[in-house]
Amino acid sequence: MIDRLTTGTSRLDVVLGGGLPLNAISLVIGLPGSGKTVLAEQCVFSNASRERPALYLSTVSEPLEKILRYGQTLSFFDPAAVGASVFYDDLGIVVGDKGLPGVLEHARDLIRGHRPSIIVIDSFKALRPYAPDAGEYRRFLHDLAGMLGVLPITSVWIGEYEDEEIAAAPEFAVADAIIAMGSNQAAERASRALRVLKLRGGGFLSGKHSYRISADGIVVFPRLADPGEAEPYTLGDCRTSSGVQAIDDMLGDGYWPGASTLVAGPTGIGKTLMGLHFVFEGARRGERGLIATLQENPTQLERIARGFGWSFAQDEVALMYRSPVDLYLDEWVYDLLDTVEETGVRRVLIDSLGDLRNASADLTRFREYTYSLLQRCSRRGVSIMMTYEVSELFGLTQLTEHGASHLPDNLVLLQYRPSQTSVNRTLTVLKTRAGYHDPGVREFAITADGITLAEPMA
Amino acid sequence: MNCKGGTIAPMSSGRPVYSIGAVAEILSVPAATLRTWQERYGVVEPERSPAGHRLYSRDQLENLRFLADQVAGGLSPGDAHRLLGERLARGTAGPEDRDGDTPLILLAERDPHAADFAEYFLRTEGYEVVVAMDADAALVKAGELTPDLIKVDLLISGARGLELCRQLRARLRTPILAICTLELRDAALDAGASAFLQRPVEPLHLVSAVKDLLGRSAFIRRGVASS
Repeated sequence: MIDRLTTGTSRLDVVLGGGLPLNAISLVIGLPGSGKTVLAEQCVFSNASRERPALYLSTVSEPLEKILRYGQTLSFFDPAAVGASVFYDDLGIVVGDKGLPGVLEHARDLIRGHRPSIIVIDSFKALRPYAPDAGEYRRFLHDLAGMLGVLPITSVWIGEYEDEEIAAAPEFAVADAIIAMGSNQAAERASRALRVLKLRGGGFLSGKHSYRISADGIVVFPRLADPGEAEPYTLGDCRTSSGVQAIDDMLGDGYWPGASTLVAGPTGIGKTLMGLHFVFEGARRGERGLIATLQENPTQLERIARGFGWSFAQDEVALMYRSPVDLYLDEWVYDLLDTVEETGVRRVLIDSLGDLRNASADLTRFREYTYSLLQRCSRRGVSIMMTYEVSELFGLTQLTEHGASHLPDNLVLLQYRPSQTSVNRTLTVLKTRAGYHDPGVREFAITADGITLAEPMA
Repeated sequence: MNCKGGTIAPMSSGRPVYSIGAVAEILSVPAATLRTWQERYGVVEPERSPAGHRLYSRDQLENLRFLADQVAGGLSPGDAHRLLGERLARGTAGPEDRDGDTPLILLAERDPHAADFAEYFLRTEGYEVVVAMDADAALVKAGELTPDLIKVDLLISGARGLELCRQLRARLRTPILAICTLELRDAALDAGASAFLQRPVEPLHLVSAVKDLLGRSAFIRRGVASS
């Protein structure tokens, strides 16, 4: 197992199985604007010290001036460190005057003078045209890698390489790790995603991992497709009330703790209200609640809750509101899990699952994330209720096509039933995992007390 | 008057005294070379007499002697000046005061880059350095030059490093610092090495290991001399 060096962004370290391979060469590739320089600088500033400084070498791609000007807009960029623990230098002049042998000589002098622990070359690809032929370039790579290899130096080479160059360009054979930064295109939505293509001496998380570029640098959201920690866990055997006595009765005394419940139904039927019952009932029993809403904004939701006698401020129910426009599923899931972890909530309402479905680029990814989220919450004993809007106002032909019905432990269907003079609301418990339920269809009304079930229909 | 034995006041080491011709003669370096060094690197800048002649101080003479020694030892004038510049910046100007006995280190190396960096970092610390790029040459140089310390890359000459350590140990009491990418600590110590470092080694670690080993060997030498 090769030791690792932090990239300065903890979730990327998770993807890399701990960080960049220490004292090795990592290649960071991607199109212009994909955040390669930001990542390299993040790595530099989080590792450099006076004793073990970092060298940032620009070449003939982006002028040093511009790298610095943009760099200082980032929160981790410490201008006081420049010249003390982070040294910038320009290889562009040397390579222009003396070619690649000049680069080797200059690099050697800089290493002697600074004894760096990290060297970034940005862009490495821009050096290639200075080799008169392929053989010369390979010799240069061999010499440079040899020089870097004898001292404890972690190198990051940056380049605007395209996927098809990976097999052909010799620097990929020299590299110990390759990180490809790019984008995921789905319809008209583009989101950033990175992949680890190669990593010597250790495991890493495969697949595409979303990331954003912010003022704090690169923020990565490792792909969630697993249930979390593998250790066995126990769930409490004390049922949790839905907040509506009649529904608890139908479920055989409420939900299991850590269970997930999907409330499906057409618009206006009372799905959010069922969720509020669930969360505020928990709050009444001293269990902290969280409402993760993509539907109503906090003001709207507060007004709805107040109409039924609940208050967010008094009942220790937290709100996590995100606009469903331009929502990134992975970022949202991480936000939610962080909030659950930090605040110790026991009950979560997600309103609605459909908004999350619409925000995800593909159905497989949506299923992976939902599965991981439910599993992670279940392991913590956190109960979840999710709303899901179906398009049919009357009757329902299919629920499985929505890709959500098999995941939750409990499935509650709310429906409209037209009568001659009005439209009635009905509730059916379609599924409960590990328990008995009343399969009947019950009418319910929405009153000032919330959801009120009528007596079972004959 | 407290001048013992009637000695004259010592000449200030910073006072300009020597002409360029005198310095050239003392150091056996052509005056033209001294002028070129000054113009190109500007590290040793003599004062000028009212008539415009260059005048060098004793400190400057010693600095030039250091440069001449480094160049004679194989360093390029540019590197030698850089080395001197660093020493001056650190306040250890001029040759180290080691009772006229600068420790000599023999590097038995396989990798030219490793040899280059080790030589540079050790010279920066004021050591004399000789490099051998194969095991046989290392054995010969160890016999001829009696270095104060030998650094051996265990992968030298097709991984003959352990054998080299044994051969050196059979003939010399010189401290041996074994270095290897592979974890061969026990094997190295069994073969007679005094210490082992696994590659890659930080320059400062290398230097402090050398200092420690030389400190020990100086102690041994003193012990031997006094017994």
